[in-house]
Amino acid sequence: MTGIWDTLKVIAQIALRNLFASRIKTLIVGGIIAFGAFILVLGTSLLDSVDAAMSRSITGSIAGDIQVYSSDSKETLDVFGGFGPAGNDIAPLTDFAKVRQTVLSVPNVAAVVPMGIDMATVTAGSSVDQVLEQLRVLANRIQAGEKTELVISDYTSQKEHVRQIIRVLQSDYDNVKRVRADSPETTDDLNAVQEANSAAFWASFDQDPLSHLEFLENRIAPLAGDADMLFLRYVGTDPAEFRHTFDRMTLIEGQPIPEGKRGFLFSQYVYEEQVKLRTARNLDKLKKARDIKGERIAREPELQRRVKENTTQVQEILLQLNARSTELYRSKLRTLLHSEESDVGRLLATFFAMNDNNFDERYRFYYEQLVPSLQLYKVRVGDTLTIKAFTRNGYVQSANLHVYGVFAFKGLETSPQAGAMNLMDLVSFRELYGYMTSDREKEIRELRAQSGAKEISRENAEQELFGNAQPEATQGIGPTSGSDSPKLADELSQIAGSRTRSVTKDQPYDPAQLEQGVMLNAAVFLKDPRRSKETIAELERAARRDHLPLAVLPWQKAVGITGQFTVLMRGVLYTAVIIIFLVALIVINNALVMATLQRVREFGTLRAIGAQRRFIWAMLVLESVVTGVLFGLLGVLVGGLVVTWLGHQGIPAWNDVVTFFFSGPKLFPVLTAQNVIAALVVVLLVSTISSNYPAWIAMRVSPRQAMQSEE
Amino acid sequence: MPTIVSIQNATKDYRLGKVTVPALRGVTMTVNSGEFLSIAGPSGSGKTTLLNLIGCVDTPTSGVVEVAGQNTNILGDRGLTHLRLFTIGFIFQSFNLVSVLDVFRNVELPLLLQRKTSASARAQRVSELLDRVGLADYAKHRPGELSGGQRQRVAIARALVTRPQLVLADEPTANLDSVTGQNILDLMQELNRTDGTTFIFSTHDARVMRHASSVIRLADGKLADQAGGHATAAEVAELGIDPQGASLS
Repeated sequence: MTGIWDTLKVIAQIALRNLFASRIKTLIVGGIIAFGAFILVLGTSLLDSVDAAMSRSITGSIAGDIQVYSSDSKETLDVFGGFGPAGNDIAPLTDFAKVRQTVLSVPNVAAVVPMGIDMATVTAGSSVDQVLEQLRVLANRIQAGEKTELVISDYTSQKEHVRQIIRVLQSDYDNVKRVRADSPETTDDLNAVQEANSAAFWASFDQDPLSHLEFLENRIAPLAGDADMLFLRYVGTDPAEFRHTFDRMTLIEGQPIPEGKRGFLFSQYVYEEQVKLRTARNLDKLKKARDIKGERIAREPELQRRVKENTTQVQEILLQLNARSTELYRSKLRTLLHSEESDVGRLLATFFAMNDNNFDERYRFYYEQLVPSLQLYKVRVGDTLTIKAFTRNGYVQSANLHVYGVFAFKGLETSPQAGAMNLMDLVSFRELYGYMTSDREKEIRELRAQSGAKEISRENAEQELFGNAQPEATQGIGPTSGSDSPKLADELSQIAGSRTRSVTKDQPYDPAQLEQGVMLNAAVFLKDPRRSKETIAELERAARRDHLPLAVLPWQKAVGITGQFTVLMRGVLYTAVIIIFLVALIVINNALVMATLQRVREFGTLRAIGAQRRFIWAMLVLESVVTGVLFGLLGVLVGGLVVTWLGHQGIPAWNDVVTFFFSGPKLFPVLTAQNVIAALVVVLLVSTISSNYPAWIAMRVSPRQAMQSEE
Repeated sequence: MPTIVSIQNATKDYRLGKVTVPALRGVTMTVNSGEFLSIAGPSGSGKTTLLNLIGCVDTPTSGVVEVAGQNTNILGDRGLTHLRLFTIGFIFQSFNLVSVLDVFRNVELPLLLQRKTSASARAQRVSELLDRVGLADYAKHRPGELSGGQRQRVAIARALVTRPQLVLADEPTANLDSVTGQNILDLMQELNRTDGTTFIFSTHDARVMRHASSVIRLADGKLADQAGGHATAAEVAELGIDPQGASLS
């Protein structure tokens, strides 16, 4: 007695041998299947890895697992900001304490970090300003009677530096004069520079240094034109809580913002891309392009452009040089360049005209020999940064913040999106944001009553201020000189419509203040991030219960288009896979139908000698399944090997945007069992489905077909 | 002798598009066990159709075909297949071996389909038959490596492996040269004599008919001599065969 096993064995035997007998067909069908499986494994592995990498760096750097913000907002929250200058229009939530309480009432929530994201302009001081500032300090000290040798020597040296700067400007203007027809401004400016460069000016300098300095500050410093306007995006937050919760944040330089202190942390990306000297930035980019991408200056117009730009950017270096460093530069550059040239500007221009042969040597020379005499970053850690922002009330608010350090989000170091985010304390953010709590409004009302100022609405301001020329209305404009409290004056100036007010850097605040007051959004961390969906629903319920206008978003939706990237890519991949497999289905089906029609006599014979229809069907489906499994496995194997190899080698990110998606300079894809199983299942399904129609045809072959003779 | 095939007034029409083509126009005959019967007739006379009905690969449009006591009209596809598997062996004009299986496997195939014989019993039976058809040394060869005559002998072994009551052969020598064809017929005849297996074969070759114990002539879908049924006396004399055996109603 023999069982179904033997029959299966013979089916398998016939099927396998048939596959071998019709090798071409098998290879075509198998090739398609293997290719499909390969694409599936590779595609899903890469996407999963990008997904995992992105979610790790985004949730760990800025977004958290979930973001909450006011449901009264006009736009959906995008923590990376809209791309317009106004950013993301998000309504404020007035009391973080309440939000915190509601959010923390949901059991799966581990932590909540308050945030406010905004943008402001910052003027990074020109180097001339800094040199003049130092000179002023020294001059004051001498005038105060501090006439030690050291101070005098510093003073003399600093003066020489200023003269050096003026000489640089003079030569610049001489060039301008040569190319451009005299315009009145140019003439004015040139006259100013000539005066500052004159021997008479410096002869009288020591008698009245302060008025001379004033002339230099007002007339000369603006001409240096190396002051950069930076547009900074920042997130105001509880710095300690932020650092504690966002594990991807790393401090590159300096220290964290101390508790209760106002302060600012630069993002490394911004620091490198905007604050660093332009020549250094260009050199860094050239080095990266050459070393990582293997590009060559000779071949890439983009690199040539950077080299050319550097040759015209020597002024930013010249302005920083004092007499001593000028001399140093001259001798060093002359030796390096084997040149007799004495003009440091020309020497530098020659130095920056680099090519592929001398790039590495000069890059090293730049950082080892030139940079030590320079201020490489326009704002240094420890400096004070003046941030000017338009408040919601329309006036300009400025804050002087101490720059405590530079940080980066691990894996997102070179990402323009995440790297654009600088950090400040929430209290300073609130000041810059200018939202007034009801307490504060009350306080201001009281101050107003004390001062006798009158509220002026925007609509009738003109009439109020000028139309009736009422003395009590105009009185309030500008700081009241007689006011005994600077705070009062400050508040008054705001009330009366003065367009600027400022916060000093040293005003400390009570850490409890972080808890109370305005926030725009908050990052919520979950104990179990996999239960994000349920937790969102719970948070929404809790918000309704507590009458908080809270909108809740998973991180993927809170980072704008960025979070949708993998969803989008997945859509593209799946569409591609579906198309590949539809085509595969048709091609395989067609190949199998052809093969079946060629085998009609064989099926007829088998039927005639006693094979049931299901035997034929099983035989053909088995043929396809075997093809599917064998070639599917082959495809999966090759795909798996490629993924594993890529996992070792890493896929280098070819630009900064890709770096963001890769969450680092390289993506190391990981192969999961899920990828493999999914690919095999799909492949098996496709091969089974595609074999069904041909199997049905074969099954219907009449045993008479075997008898077909020449008759 | 018991009757193995009994056909009553069987007709078979084929539809070719809108035209109905009558292939058999009412055939009545019986075949007894142990016969070595030849169905003769020119091309288009209905030989293959009649063989199809007897071989249970087709059912009549009207009339009754009984094979091994079973009315094929009421069996359905599965039943017919089962009947073929256990009762009938087939030998085809073009041999119809499974090209991807070796000789041994080809012969074994019907036993595997039957699922009633153990592997060792199968091996024994296959070897025995290969011995009888003189291909014991060719068990591991593929059909493509054999000559036409050898292939047909494999087919004969395959047809006999299940010990069928009835073996049908459709023009078994048509694709063979005359010497080889002769050998094949000799083999079939010998198997008929020693085992008592009924052989029915179609042919239009007079030399083949000479081997038959009886001959049925078909013309235009009818038995050529509906009244007598047997070969004419002259033919019988000419062929030197015994007209007894094939009895017509």
